[in-house]
Amino acid sequence: MDLTLYGDDSKGLIKLDPRTKMLMVLSSGVLSFFSYNDVPLFVFCTVLCTLLALCGKPLTALKGYLAFAVALYLRFCISSRASAAPFLEIISQVLITVLLYCLPVVLSFILLTGTTRISQFISAFQAMHLPMKVIIPVAVFFRFIPTVQEEWTGIRKAMAFRGISVGLGSIFRHPMRTVEYVLVPMLFSSISVMEELASAALARGMDMDVKRSSYQSVRLGPADYIAGGIILAVTIYVMSSGW
Amino acid sequence: MAKREVTNSNQQNDRRMKTKDLIYAGAFGAIYLVVMLVIVMGTSGIAIMYLLAPLTVGIVCATIYELCVLKVKKFGPALILGVLFSLVSCMGNIPGMIGCFIAALLAELIIKAGGYSSRKSYLASYPIFNLTMAMPYTMLGFQRETFIRRAADWYSQGYADALDAAAPSWIWYGIAVEAVIGGIIGVLLASKLIKKHFDKAGII
Repeated sequence: MDLTLYGDDSKGLIKLDPRTKMLMVLSSGVLSFFSYNDVPLFVFCTVLCTLLALCGKPLTALKGYLAFAVALYLRFCISSRASAAPFLEIISQVLITVLLYCLPVVLSFILLTGTTRISQFISAFQAMHLPMKVIIPVAVFFRFIPTVQEEWTGIRKAMAFRGISVGLGSIFRHPMRTVEYVLVPMLFSSISVMEELASAALARGMDMDVKRSSYQSVRLGPADYIAGGIILAVTIYVMSSGW
Repeated sequence: MAKREVTNSNQQNDRRMKTKDLIYAGAFGAIYLVVMLVIVMGTSGIAIMYLLAPLTVGIVCATIYELCVLKVKKFGPALILGVLFSLVSCMGNIPGMIGCFIAALLAELIIKAGGYSSRKSYLASYPIFNLTMAMPYTMLGFQRETFIRRAADWYSQGYADALDAAAPSWIWYGIAVEAVIGGIIGVLLASKLIKKHFDKAGII
């Protein structure tokens, strides 16, 4: 089992500001909603994967980029020839397109949640002068997504250990039972994680009304301006031409 | 020690959210959205399942929502959940975002009407909250041509045609009703699960 810190970015070659990463998540969402064209998507994904690799996740970046290239190729193959089975064609086309358009969002989410410590989040949000009532839920929200994924892997393992499969087949055969088997343990373990998180937050004086100081300094550096500039350019291009 | 003090102050009649409640709301929001996205992504390959997503999401996610509001028992968790939901699912769809906010606010008001103590009003708030699931579809309901054209560009002409055929013009109201029905079924399931597991464990 690898015991890594949540959002450890010490291995990265460059350190991006959380605000730049949030800009990436936002613009990837916008992009996957408005872009029909493959070229901006390609440019965006290239930038994203490069940044992900530079921020200390080269393996994830490579995998994501390969998946993206394969999906793009398959989409091209399907749309370039007429097939004899229109129904199958539609289904495979849709699945590939969903994959293609989710990838930037998923990758930028990995970049955001995988390479940012929760304290960096909070100090970045504080630099944006947001009230604590907004900061805490959003920061916890981002911090918790990897936890949900982790719990899910744990539950699958525990279920497999007892001879219960929670794969696609069992979802179709016993939908309600599968929901119960997955949801209940996930909620139980998540609640205990939440309790620990809450105690840790209280121990750090998060419920005080005074302005907090932080060890983590967040500052927009040259890398942020370059990355942010490229992302904004692609997004604006898509928004202005995609409509 | 600090923890005990917080639980004590929770029991007092203070209905403003504390740091701990904000953490609960954010974390439950993460679970809710991950489960929602898994369901929607997993089923949207077929046009009809895409239209049925509010039903399936309502059935599954009701338990998560109920636990969240029952755990916090203050004004706010449903609203935070709704806002996080709208940020993820209605990006680039401003009327949908406003709709999400209104649905979440109505759910809060139902809980408030029950005085934060009646289990029934907590349960009754979810079918209304689940209207948020109908909000991403507002485009299909009110800007139909744009949406179909976009689906053709995104996926393929065949998918757009199937969607066009499967979705009559009153579809959005159908989806809203479907979301409420999904919410009701989900709540029935949730109250059973909560009684069976979470009450017994003393979590809420």
